[in-house]
Amino acid sequence: MSELMGSLKMISNGSVLMYILKGVGFTIGIAFFAVVLGIIIGTVLALARNYCTKGWLNIFRYIATAYIEVFRNTPLMLWIFIGLVFFPSIEFSAEFTKFFELSRTEMAVLFKAIVALVLFTSSVIAEIVRGGLNSIPKGQFEAAYSQGFNFFQTLILIVLPQTFKNIVPTLLSQVITTIKDTSYIANIAIAELMGKTFQLIQIAPRYTGFTTQNVSDVFVLCGLACVIYFAINFTLSCVVRHMQKPKKRTAPAAAN
Amino acid sequence: MGKDSKMIRLEDVHKSFGDLEVLKGINLHVKEGEKLVIIGPSGSGKSTLIRCMNYLEEPTSGKVYVHNHLMSRKRRAFINKIHSSMVFQQFNLYPHLTVLENLTLAPMKLKKISKAEAEQTAMTYLKRVGLEEKANVYPTTLSGGQQQRIAIARALTMQNRVIFFDEPTSALDPEMVQEVLDVMIELSHEKNFTMVVVTHEMGFAREVADRIVFVDGGRILEEGTPEHFFTNPENERTKAFLSKIIR
Repeated sequence: MSELMGSLKMISNGSVLMYILKGVGFTIGIAFFAVVLGIIIGTVLALARNYCTKGWLNIFRYIATAYIEVFRNTPLMLWIFIGLVFFPSIEFSAEFTKFFELSRTEMAVLFKAIVALVLFTSSVIAEIVRGGLNSIPKGQFEAAYSQGFNFFQTLILIVLPQTFKNIVPTLLSQVITTIKDTSYIANIAIAELMGKTFQLIQIAPRYTGFTTQNVSDVFVLCGLACVIYFAINFTLSCVVRHMQKPKKRTAPAAAN
Repeated sequence: MGKDSKMIRLEDVHKSFGDLEVLKGINLHVKEGEKLVIIGPSGSGKSTLIRCMNYLEEPTSGKVYVHNHLMSRKRRAFINKIHSSMVFQQFNLYPHLTVLENLTLAPMKLKKISKAEAEQTAMTYLKRVGLEEKANVYPTTLSGGQQQRIAIARALTMQNRVIFFDEPTSALDPEMVQEVLDVMIELSHEKNFTMVVVTHEMGFAREVADRIVFVDGGRILEEGTPEHFFTNPENERTKAFLSKIIR
């Protein structure tokens, strides 16, 4: 019982809580960054895969298809390790890394992991966007062409706005998945919530007053991480569910 | 190109989808201000024919001229922008925009007309189709007949002189057909307005058409005035078709 009290004392320590909170910040920040970049890259990939069907443009379709299928059908963990070994190390400025309270080496490693996450996420989002594009009736293109819009105007003014409106719930589900996916980064870097949790388990004796780690440390720290992940993601999934509820029509369909 | 009054000219237009040849050499002129109605059994190629006129379908061979401009894939956007509009069987309104935005999008983006002016024009046409009170609702909240009238108003806002109607009443519930036909009949009174209509509405064809074209098997089998058509058609297939459709 005293072990548990020691563990609980640890997480009521202000600096430990702050450490965890910064991890939460990284988790959300990395996921947000990956999803935003994923939407941009994914949209380009989806457009290339769907519409580069004429002559030499087919090259882009093949590239996009290969990219999507490779990253979507292989585990993220694999790409994080491949990234760690093969991706180039970026030299970040000292001020930049200081802002994130990381060393320059840590920052370089974290960056590789984020690149892997972006590659993976963008391939998944590309298929979500493509599903959205395919759900737009052909008639929308035809209406636009008959009015004199060209292909790009049609995409930007008519097709993509409808596509994104339709896929918002699916994209939010992907945000949830990506938030959970950030935990893979704990394997190579200490920055986000899972990494910080592992780190705290390692150094628990400094705070609990015991000389060794206890099972209760794992129970309490992982329990806390669990509660935090759940709180964030459950909130998001409630939002998704709310959005998917069939909307009541503001104006009843007048049949005259 | 000459100074003829041919608004639309199709020269030996062929169109195949894979192995299926849908149009087998169409020659057709539409004069400025003419109200042309295209009829024919389903699968005859009449929809493909009208869709070749604004290059929603690119002919496999043959030439399409709109107001003496030779149509091509590259020039489609430009020519459609300044010469023609289309009304579709499935309305094809933009569901993410309000009715008013549906009507102002193309004039603002393509003709660089100011928002105020575009909205003013849009309201004029909405009034003309009797739906000015629906300006700020989304199209999906409207009935089929209302949506099609909005689609007609949208086609008018570009202020082009040719409007193509591709079976505008075929997807409507029977009680909504007349409200759409009424709008089209009212439009047909404008002398300088060219209308090409694919339809099964024989009453409408009889009342509005200057000329009727009967298409079957990808060919024009007979053309003439409504009077000719409905009193003494010559072609056997035309006779058979009309006897089935008019009861």
